[in-house]
Amino acid sequence: MIRRRTLLTVAPALALLGRSALAAPAALTSDSTLMPRSGSGPRIVVCGGGWGGLTAARYLREEIPSAEVIVLERNPIFWSCPMSNKWLIDVVDTAYLTHDMLFPANRHGYQLVQCEITGIERDRKLVRTSKGNVDYDFLILAGGIRNAYDAWFGDDRAAAEYTRTHFPSAYIPNAEHLALKDKIRNFKGGTIVMTLPPPPHRCPPSPYERACVMAWHFKVNNIPAKILILDPKPGIAPIGGGYRAAFEELYPDIITHVPNARVRELDPWNKRIMTEAGDFDFDEAVLMPPHQASDMVFHAGLIGTNAEGKSTGWADMDPRYYHANGDDSVYIVGDSMGAISPHFGHYPKSGHVANYIAKIVARNIGQRVREEEVVAELPDNLCYMLVNGDPREAISVEFTYEVGADGLVHQNQIDIDVRTPDLLEEDFVWAQGMFNDFLR
Amino acid sequence: MTSCAEIDRRALLAAAAALGTGLWPGLAGAQEIESSAAPQPDDAEADRIAAAFLNGAIPQAEGLALDLPALGDNPAAVPVRVHLDQALSDTNFCEELIVLAQRNPKPLACRFRFTPLTGSVDVALRLRLIQSMGLRAIARMSDGRFLEARGDITVAAGGCGM
Amino acid sequence: MSRPPRIWISNATPIPGEIVRIRAQVVHPMETGFRFGPDGQPLPMNIVTRFQASLGGEMLLEWLPETAVAQNPYIEFTFSALRGGLLHMVWTDGSGDFAEAEQEIVLAG
Ligand SMILES: Cc1cc2nc3c(=O)[nH]c(=O)nc-3n(C[C@H](O)[C@H](O)[C@H](O)COP(=O)(O)OP(=O)(O)OC[C@H]3O[C@@H](n4cnc5c(N)ncnc54)[C@H](O)[C@@H]3O)c2cc1C
Repeated sequence: MIRRRTLLTVAPALALLGRSALAAPAALTSDSTLMPRSGSGPRIVVCGGGWGGLTAARYLREEIPSAEVIVLERNPIFWSCPMSNKWLIDVVDTAYLTHDMLFPANRHGYQLVQCEITGIERDRKLVRTSKGNVDYDFLILAGGIRNAYDAWFGDDRAAAEYTRTHFPSAYIPNAEHLALKDKIRNFKGGTIVMTLPPPPHRCPPSPYERACVMAWHFKVNNIPAKILILDPKPGIAPIGGGYRAAFEELYPDIITHVPNARVRELDPWNKRIMTEAGDFDFDEAVLMPPHQASDMVFHAGLIGTNAEGKSTGWADMDPRYYHANGDDSVYIVGDSMGAISPHFGHYPKSGHVANYIAKIVARNIGQRVREEEVVAELPDNLCYMLVNGDPREAISVEFTYEVGADGLVHQNQIDIDVRTPDLLEEDFVWAQGMFNDFLR
Repeated sequence: MTSCAEIDRRALLAAAAALGTGLWPGLAGAQEIESSAAPQPDDAEADRIAAAFLNGAIPQAEGLALDLPALGDNPAAVPVRVHLDQALSDTNFCEELIVLAQRNPKPLACRFRFTPLTGSVDVALRLRLIQSMGLRAIARMSDGRFLEARGDITVAAGGCGM
Repeated sequence: MSRPPRIWISNATPIPGEIVRIRAQVVHPMETGFRFGPDGQPLPMNIVTRFQASLGGEMLLEWLPETAVAQNPYIEFTFSALRGGLLHMVWTDGSGDFAEAEQEIVLAG
């Protein structure tokens, strides 16, 4: 009662900061401490509250009940990229994709702080954020991907910003998805170009799914649209057979898949794109630049280099234990992860894998804290892709992993190319299971 | 002679070099054989299977089509389509069709049998190919004729899944 | 073959004589017998050896895969819809395991 009255006398902005603001206005400087330590267990800071981060936070709290787990996330609400293509044509509504993150935080007992991670000082075991610094015993980097517009435009920030704002890729949980949906709804006809990032990139089958749902919308609404999929790969993959059949049978006049179309030059102002498979003018576009590990992995100085000393763009990490090479207090979870095996490169950059690896990492950290043997575990992966709006038919791909006689991880890919309605039903079961796992 | 495992290992070494060594501690000592699958050194075995199927007949080069992709980017599942492009009837239909992957460890990839009820021969399947090679499809018609189609396919090395 | 086969049909109510296209896929490891397991022992061969499709009890086609057929065998075939009936498909593997799928075909008109 007393505290409440006191609070009411301070300025509203400060009131939001609660007790510490009252005690020390110095909390407002960027160099102050975000949160004092609490509890007797280790402090584990999870950077990024997406599929990987929120899963890690929940399971770390279950594995290590004494642990203080803090999730740092820039977004105020959870936005699911999985199922977002289906949302473009209203197979699911916005409420299906958006979720409150405080509910799981309170239920599982981790702290959720909405802030921007601005730096990582591994020598001090410290994360810098827009709300202050936070130190850690274990750090989990689960920031997803960054759009590497610089790979296209170098230092030309104006071109990058113009492209991002006018032809958003909508591949990261943010408001770009809303912009994309509006774009599709308002499109009156003409050529839409869609660039695919070169592999490895986030969710390889989903750009084709997006092309299918867009094409379906144009088809049923009689909008004279052409979609050009500019694919740097020599063919459609994964689920190439299923997608090819969908393109040819359902959208023959709308979708054209252009293989080997690596982007050479892009003029967003004049709506012109130059690729290795030819030059194209467009009326509208979904421009996905190459993907890289999220900025925070760069901040942490944990980007790998290849044999020529060039940056790989992805985390430099142990392929079996998922911690950074040379720093086992830092784990990388989700799409930021680096190469796993020379047999196949990266794990698919999917929500399913992010969730799976997050659980393994939580168990591994639990084993370390309890001084038990750390057991290396492998994920699997599963994705369902909608190719037809009526009847609603989906195709799917599944990956399993095993360690071969060569001691390396081997991948086994199962494309289900036959489009059927029950695969969409399985997709809903999958998505609900995932949401229940880390959002409830 | 290159075994599947060796193809794998070559791709693997190249990949490891590209990814930066040190990441793959087990690699240098990886001598284990993963598979005993070995490609045929030549087309002799495939020819033998074809001859047994043809039973002395000379196949016609028209009437049967074999569609292959320009590049089999996933050698573990190369899409192959075989179709007859001539009208079929109760008295002129395809009885049997074989597909040969001439350099695979076992060149006979599969066999089909049809009936007058089928009425249309157009099949597509996925093959795993141990290396780049020639493919061959031979159809035996009910009137005793044989139709043949051939094609070559280049596959990317690595992970043939055999 | 623990999971049900996937079936897609171009048209289950074709007009007489229409070419109907079927796609079918079953999940199966198609173990070639060439590979070795982690213990260095060869993994026993186990492939789908036979796929049969019949319409109204009469054989439409039979497919006999060998080791070259990819994992999770995918088969696409056509037939001319000269009559209706139950399209029945059955896969059998070397271990005697089998999977079945059915689709009623009704001629239009
Ligand atoms: C259209 C589309 C469809 C997809 N469909 C599927 C599907 O069907 N199945 C599937 O499994 N996967 C799918 N995916 C892939 C899936 O979305 C990603 O693989 C998954 O989100 C990866 O999880 P993550 O935790 O690595 O990254 P995210 O889920 O992206 O989480 C990263 C979080 O970190 C936050 N963050 C990043 N940097 C900072 C910073 N500096 N400060 C504060 N916060 C920061 C971000 O805001 C974000 O919330 C799809 C993706 C797209 C785009």
